[in-house]
Amino acid sequence: MKLQVKLAIYNALSKGIIFAAFGILLPILTEQVVYDHIDKRLVARTDRIMKIISRGGINEIILEQDCSFESYNIFKEEFVSITPLRNDMPPPETQISNEQVLVENEKLNHRVVKQAFVYDNQQYMLRIGEGLGTIEQLNKAVVQFSLTLMILFIVVSIFIDIGFARLMLRPFNRIVKQKLRLPKNPSMYVFQPVKTSTHEFRYLDDSINELMRKTRDAFLIEKEFIANVAHELLTPISILQNRFENMLVEHELSEQAEDKVMESLKTLKRLSKIIKALLMISKIENDQFLKQDSADLDTLIEDVCDELEDLIQEKQIVLVKSMEPVAPVTPVNRSLLFNMIFNLVNNAIRYNNIGGNIFIRGERVPDGYRLQIQDSGIGMDGSQINNIFDRFKRFNPSDDQGYGLGLPIVKTISDFHGFSISMDSKPMKGATVTILIPKSSFQ
Amino acid sequence: MNVLLVEDERALSHEVESFLASQGFNVDVAFNGKSASEKIYINNYDFILLDIGLPDYNGFDLLKEAREGGCDAAFIILTARSETDDKIHGLELGADDYLAKPFSLPELNARMQAIMRRKHGLTSNTVDIGGFVMDLNSRTVRYSANEVTLTKKEFDLLHYLALNRNRVLTRMQLTEHIWGDTMEDDYDSNFIDVHIKNLRKKLSAHGNIDWLETVRGIGYRLNL
Repeated sequence: MKLQVKLAIYNALSKGIIFAAFGILLPILTEQVVYDHIDKRLVARTDRIMKIISRGGINEIILEQDCSFESYNIFKEEFVSITPLRNDMPPPETQISNEQVLVENEKLNHRVVKQAFVYDNQQYMLRIGEGLGTIEQLNKAVVQFSLTLMILFIVVSIFIDIGFARLMLRPFNRIVKQKLRLPKNPSMYVFQPVKTSTHEFRYLDDSINELMRKTRDAFLIEKEFIANVAHELLTPISILQNRFENMLVEHELSEQAEDKVMESLKTLKRLSKIIKALLMISKIENDQFLKQDSADLDTLIEDVCDELEDLIQEKQIVLVKSMEPVAPVTPVNRSLLFNMIFNLVNNAIRYNNIGGNIFIRGERVPDGYRLQIQDSGIGMDGSQINNIFDRFKRFNPSDDQGYGLGLPIVKTISDFHGFSISMDSKPMKGATVTILIPKSSFQ
Repeated sequence: MNVLLVEDERALSHEVESFLASQGFNVDVAFNGKSASEKIYINNYDFILLDIGLPDYNGFDLLKEAREGGCDAAFIILTARSETDDKIHGLELGADDYLAKPFSLPELNARMQAIMRRKHGLTSNTVDIGGFVMDLNSRTVRYSANEVTLTKKEFDLLHYLALNRNRVLTRMQLTEHIWGDTMEDDYDSNFIDVHIKNLRKKLSAHGNIDWLETVRGIGYRLNL
C-alpha cells in the first residue's frame, strides 16, 4: 500500500474514533450539565420555600381544607406541591429525580426535588418540579448542531490532510520513481537531485545518488576489465592458433609432429571457447547486451531447427513441434535468444539416441508461456541436474562433458530476460528443459 | 591484390602476412596507426585488415579518416576486444566485415573472397570443382545438366573447401565456419565427417570426386 494512502487512512480513522467518542459523550455530558443547573435551581427554590414556611407558617400556602397545596405555572413547566405525610412513617430522604407527572391528563417529564419536613408535628412532603420538555428539545438541537459541525470539520480536515501529505510526499515519490526504478544499466542513471526541503528526503536522495555513483564506477571498471581480459587473453591465443595453422600447411612435418600440432590446436580452441563463454556470461550479467528486439518464438525455433536440420537427419531423430500461438516476446536480444534455443535443441540432439524423439512444446499457462524441449536421450541423474546450470561446477575433470559452458550460458540468457528455466531428467529416460516466459514479456 | 595489414602485435602480424602471401596477396604491414595512416594516404590498397586496438590510434578513427580521404579499400576489422557494439559501430563507419580474434586463417581468406565477389566483382559467381559447378547466387550445384541437391550446410562446406583449395582444412576450421561460435566444443564429434560422407555420396552419384581428399589426422583438402 502506498504511504500516502496509509496516511490518509490513518487520518480518517483517528478522526473517526475521536468523532465517535465525542458523538457518544456529547449528549450524556450536556444532559449532565443541564441537570446540574436545574438541580441547583430546584434546591434554591426549596430553600426559599422552606424559609417562607419557617417565617410565615405553612398556612400561608396550604389551604385549610385538605392540608395540601399544588400549583402549576401556566405552561405547566414548573410546579410546587406540599402534601402531608403520615406521621408514623420515617421521613423519606431528600432526593432529586426525573418523574413523569400527570398534569391535566398530560404526562410530562419533570425534574423533581422531594424533601420532607415537619411543621406543627405534621410531616409534609415538598415537591418542586421543573418541566424538561423545552430543555430536552434544546439539548437535542445543540447536540445535533455540534455533531454536524464536527462531521463537516472532519471531512474538510481529511481532504486537507490528503492534499498536504501528497504535497509533502511528492519528492519522496519522485525519488522512488526516478531513482529506485533503476534502468538495468547504471550508466543510464540520472544523478540530478530531487527538489525537496524535507531533510530526510534530501538525505535519502543523496545517499541513493552516492550509492549509484559507486555502483556505476564498479560497473564501468568491470566492463573495462572484461574488455581488457578479452584482449590480453585472446591475442596470444590468436598468435598461437595462426602459427599452428601455418605450420600444418607450410612445413613438411612428420606425422607425429602433425598430430601434436593438431592436439595443440584443439587445446587452444578449448581455451578460447572457455574464455569466450565466460566473457559472454560476464557481459550478459554486466548488461552489455541490448534488449531491443521482439522475437516470434515459433519463427525462432524454426530457424534453430533449420540450422540443425542435418544433425537431426543424421541421427534419424523425429522432431515434433507444437506451439500454441502467442504474441512476440519483447523486449529481447534476438541473437541471445537464438543462442539459448540453439544450445538447448543442440543438446537434445547430441545426447539423444539414434532414431530418438524431440518434442518442442509451447503452451499458454496462467503465469505466461511455457516452452518445453524434451528429448528421449541418455538423460542424467539428480546430482548432475543440480549442477547443470552452474558455470563453476561444470569444470569437473572427471566428467567427460565437463568443459561445456552451453547450459550455464543458457541459464544466464534466461535470467537476463527474466525467464525461469528448469531441467527434469532421469538416467536413460531423456531430459526435459522447461522455460517459463512471464506474462510481462508479451506486452 | 594489395593488402595493408594494420596490427601492432608483431607475431600475429607475421603469421597473417605469411598466410596472405601464400594466397598470392601483396602484403604491406603497419604496426601502428600513424604509419598505417601514412601508407593509406600514399598507396592504393584493395584490402585493409585493421586491428581496432592500436597503441597510438583508435582503429575506428583510422577507418573514418580513410573513408573521408576517399579510400575505397575493403576494410576488415580484426579485434580481440569484446565490446558488443564494436561490430555495429565498425560496420556503420563503412567497414566491410568484422572478424573476432582468434580467427582461423582460412576463414579470413573466405571473408576476403566474399568481399571481392560482392564489392569488386573480381571473382565470378560460379565455382568449378572438377566438373561440378557451384552457383553462389542460387546456391545450387550442377554436374553437366544434373542438379545435385545439397543441404545448406553441405553447400557451405563445399564452398569453403573450394575457397581454400589445395590447402588442408582442419575439422575445427570446418566446424567453426559452418556453425560459427554457437556450436559447443565437440571436437571429437564426427559432425564434419558425417557431412563429408553425405557430400561424397551425393556428388559421386554424378561424377568423379577424387579431388576431395581426406588428410589423415587433420581434416580435408580440395585438390584442384
